[in-house]
Amino acid sequence: MARMPALLEAVGLVKRLGGRLVVDGVDLVCHAGQVLGLLGPNGAGKTTTLRMLYGFLTADAGVIRFDGADVARDVGSFKRQLGVCTQEDTFDGDFTVRENLTIAASYFRPRPEHVPHRVDELLERFSLTTYAGDKPEALSGGFRRRLMIARALVHRPRLLFLDEPTTGLDPQARVAVWDLVNGLRAAGLGIVLTTHYMDEAERLSDVLTVLAQGKVVAHGTPKSVLGDMLGEHVVVLEPDSVSAAAVGPWLETHGLGQPLAVLGAWHLPLSAEQLADFARAFPALRYEVRPPNLDDLFLKLALAPCAS
Amino acid sequence: MRQLTAAFEWQSRAVVGRHLRVYLKNWHTSFLPPVLEPITLLLAFGLGLGAYMARGIEWHGRDVGYMDYVAPGMLAYATFMTAVFQSLFGAFIRMRYQRTWEGQLTTQIDLRHVVWGEILWAALLTTSYVAIVSLVLSACQALGLIHLDLGVLPVVIPIVFVSACAFSALGLCFTALVPTIDHMNLPIFLVVLPMGFVSATYFPLGHPVMAAISTVNPLYHLAEAVRGLLLGAGGGVHFAGLAILVSAMLAVLVPLDMRLLRKRVLGD
Repeated sequence: MARMPALLEAVGLVKRLGGRLVVDGVDLVCHAGQVLGLLGPNGAGKTTTLRMLYGFLTADAGVIRFDGADVARDVGSFKRQLGVCTQEDTFDGDFTVRENLTIAASYFRPRPEHVPHRVDELLERFSLTTYAGDKPEALSGGFRRRLMIARALVHRPRLLFLDEPTTGLDPQARVAVWDLVNGLRAAGLGIVLTTHYMDEAERLSDVLTVLAQGKVVAHGTPKSVLGDMLGEHVVVLEPDSVSAAAVGPWLETHGLGQPLAVLGAWHLPLSAEQLADFARAFPALRYEVRPPNLDDLFLKLALAPCAS
Repeated sequence: MRQLTAAFEWQSRAVVGRHLRVYLKNWHTSFLPPVLEPITLLLAFGLGLGAYMARGIEWHGRDVGYMDYVAPGMLAYATFMTAVFQSLFGAFIRMRYQRTWEGQLTTQIDLRHVVWGEILWAALLTTSYVAIVSLVLSACQALGLIHLDLGVLPVVIPIVFVSACAFSALGLCFTALVPTIDHMNLPIFLVVLPMGFVSATYFPLGHPVMAAISTVNPLYHLAEAVRGLLLGAGGGVHFAGLAILVSAMLAVLVPLDMRLLRKRVLGD
């Protein structure tokens, strides 16, 4: 099968802010029709990386390519192909919902074709037609996010950046945004997504790039990333039992470090072999075994960012 | 150089277009201040203070009626205040509270275009205000309240526009520096109002120290240049002073604005 073209490719991105190394040699790739999830705990460098990718910040080192061409040679043309939905609502409060889309179209050259028709189409697609004449601040959180995404699409970009698009939304609104993202992927857009919701990242992302302390610590499909970083199983146990006291030394002996403590429980990511050893070592211990998820990965990175 | 040539790029015009659309939506409320302000000032300074100066004042060796002295100063003062306040409050609100800039920066608009868009918009708005003030002055002339050579007003308009660009660049500098809108009092009381007072807009500067300070005040040169034109006395030296100061302000302040705002808005 022919390999899909790399819509966006970043190689060796480096950024210092205020003298601090925030992004340290990040590589990532996003293809057309693919959702790339960019994950990591707070301070991992996600937003800075994203801001470099969509041209807010200039990288101190590294290359960003779009369709194989270095974007530094023509940033303007590159930005013509981008849609950006920032984490905060940045719509224009002086205009109505419809006018927000129209005015956003005026910020692109070549001018988007048939703007009034495109605006109607987006209002319809994002269920905003009823609110077209309202000011954005009159909208609920979910509809504000829809407006932000619709605005990012008004000029028919090929690559969309979604920075935590569902933060603060109720479950129904989140699902609605997921449906929209799925539809955009199906339409062939490349999408770079950051989120703090691990279920969202698992559901939406075709590939994940995981950052910690400004570096890529894992890259691949959600399943392979979890396997690489956590193993195949997570053992959950209460640490206050007498027999659990020996678990800490056992982990140390097996080079597994300290257990992850979550609400008083210990979460131990283990491979199949390690699980078998664990079961033999602690036959009387009561514990639960479940598959790993991105929450485990997130906690591992947040609690022990250098673990990888 | 790109920082200065960005003024002529389509993105800067697009930003101005956005501000113009907002202004036109609210034109009925935006229109009132430039009409009422000169009327109020003419009444206060011209008829009020002027009543105590029936003999007029001496200006460059000739006696001039106080109303005739103050009317050109009003055009200069309107240029300065409108440009500075638009780039102080208007720009700060768009940058900090409305987050308009951030939205624009996610498009093909770069920060240098946002900055030039703000400067050009403030200058355009200022020029339209001064045009309205000029109409009010024309009405005053028709009523016999002032006696000026209003035929030169078309020459004044481009001078006002360029000067307003420089004043707006000064205002943006403070916009980049003040942490909150409450701190706007600092540049207003420490810089803007002193510049307004040491400018010969509403009263001549008799004290030698004030006169010396005023030579580096672009508002002083603007007021004197416009006054010279409207009183039929030329004003060549003040045009030169204005040209030098305005050019220096644009060359220094615009790149500085961009540097400071890049740090503030983008954290870079």
